[in-house]
Parts: sequence; structure tokens; C-alpha cells
Amino acid sequence: MAAYEVIFCIVNDGFSDVVMDAAREAGARGGTVMHARGTANREAEKFFGISVQPEKEIVMILVPAEIKDDVLRALYREAGLKTDGQGIAFAMPVDDAVGVGGEQPAGDDEK
Amino acid sequence: MEEITKRRRRTPRRQPQAGNTITNNPLKLLVTVVDRPKTEFYADLIQSFDVNLQTVVLAKGTADDNMLRYLGLTDSKKSVIFSVIGAARLPAALEALEDKFRTVKNGKGIAFTIPLSSVIGTLIYGFLSNNRSVVKEK
Repeated sequence: MAAYEVIFCIVNDGFSDVVMDAAREAGARGGTVMHARGTANREAEKFFGISVQPEKEIVMILVPAEIKDDVLRALYREAGLKTDGQGIAFAMPVDDAVGVGGEQPAGDDEK
Repeated sequence: MEEITKRRRRTPRRQPQAGNTITNNPLKLLVTVVDRPKTEFYADLIQSFDVNLQTVVLAKGTADDNMLRYLGLTDSKKSVIFSVIGAARLPAALEALEDKFRTVKNGKGIAFTIPLSSVIGTLIYGFLSNNRSVVKEK
């Protein structure tokens, strides 16, 4: 089983903080936010009576495989499709991960 | 007909990088997250490992220090470098990345790989794995 999994969460613009707060509650340490634009089926939007905000944020979170389910559940609860964030999230197994966990490099202060 | 068979038999011997096929050199997506000023440094480093396709996406990082969050200092400019790399060169690339993450000042970052399950077309596969023998020379 993979040691790490990467979770991608696509939410409406401005909701990456909600996603990160939820992910942190579930044990994630940090994430990376990318800006993106969503495309939706216009006709389907009309049919279902919902509007899809095209401005999106993609939050990429690398987490240990053991807490992946907890993080996904938290994201669903706090930023899922039923919330204003209208988020979807999925996870992918990661083969190799370097630079995560372990000690801080000597003499190199990130902050 | 005879000629075709002959040519087929000769092909493996002519390939300079024999063994670079989709089965024994599968492709991976290498995702590298680094501070923005170091983008080119890392992109160049990765490119030296037979990487022909890279995409850089500008992003921001979210630090997890509570005090910093109160101060509003959590957002830091980052770049995400997506690179397609052959598994054969991957261990060397990861080793180089890990070394630079540790030793370069302000060069800390993370990297991970995701296996690609399909690629369409031998030319594209050759391009992505830098297998130059797929292009026939005249």
C-alpha cells in the first residue's frame, strides 16, 4: 500500500481556506493552491437549476495514506457539493515522495 | 514480404536505447512544488533527466503554523512543476531533487510521482521518454 496519497480538491474561488482548515482538522499538514477555471455543461446546469462558478481553486494536499479517508470525509463535510464551496475531491496513490516529513534542513528556515 | 521480415528482425539491434519501451520504462507524472524564485532552477534540473515535457503552474502554499496564520503570513508563492518522466530515470531524478531540497538555500520543496496508465501514440511516448530512436532517420 502506498505510504502517501495526493488529494486534489476542486472548489469555487475563495474556498481554499475552508478546504485547508478541514484538511488540517483531519491531520493534513499543508497544501498547495492552484488557480483554475471550471467548465460545465450549460444545458445540464439549466436542467438541474444550479449555476457553476467558473473560477475555481484546486487544492493539492499530500497526506499519509492512513489519514486519506479522514481528510476526504472532512472535505466532503465542509466543502462538498452541498456547501457554497461546491467542492469535489479525489485521491490518487503516490509512488515516491521526497521532501515530506522528517527533519528541517540545517540552516535553512522556510518561514 | 521477405524484406519486411528482415527489417523487423534487424530493428532491435539498430535501436541505440534498446529496452526503452512502454513496458520496461513506464511513464510517471512527477509533481514538484517549490518556491517560485526557484522554479527555473528545478525545471532545468528535472529536464536533465530525459524530460521533454514540463508544465509550470503558479500556486500558493498554505503553511500550518497557527501563529503565522493569525498574522496573515501563511500565503507563500509557490510553483508546481508537472513533468512527465520515464521510470528508468526516476530514481536518479528523485535523488537529485532530494539532495537539492536539503542543500540549496530557500530551495526546500516536495516532489512525488503518479503513474500514468496510458499514453496514445508511439511518437508521443518516444517524445515523453526521450526515446529518440522512434524517429526514423533518413
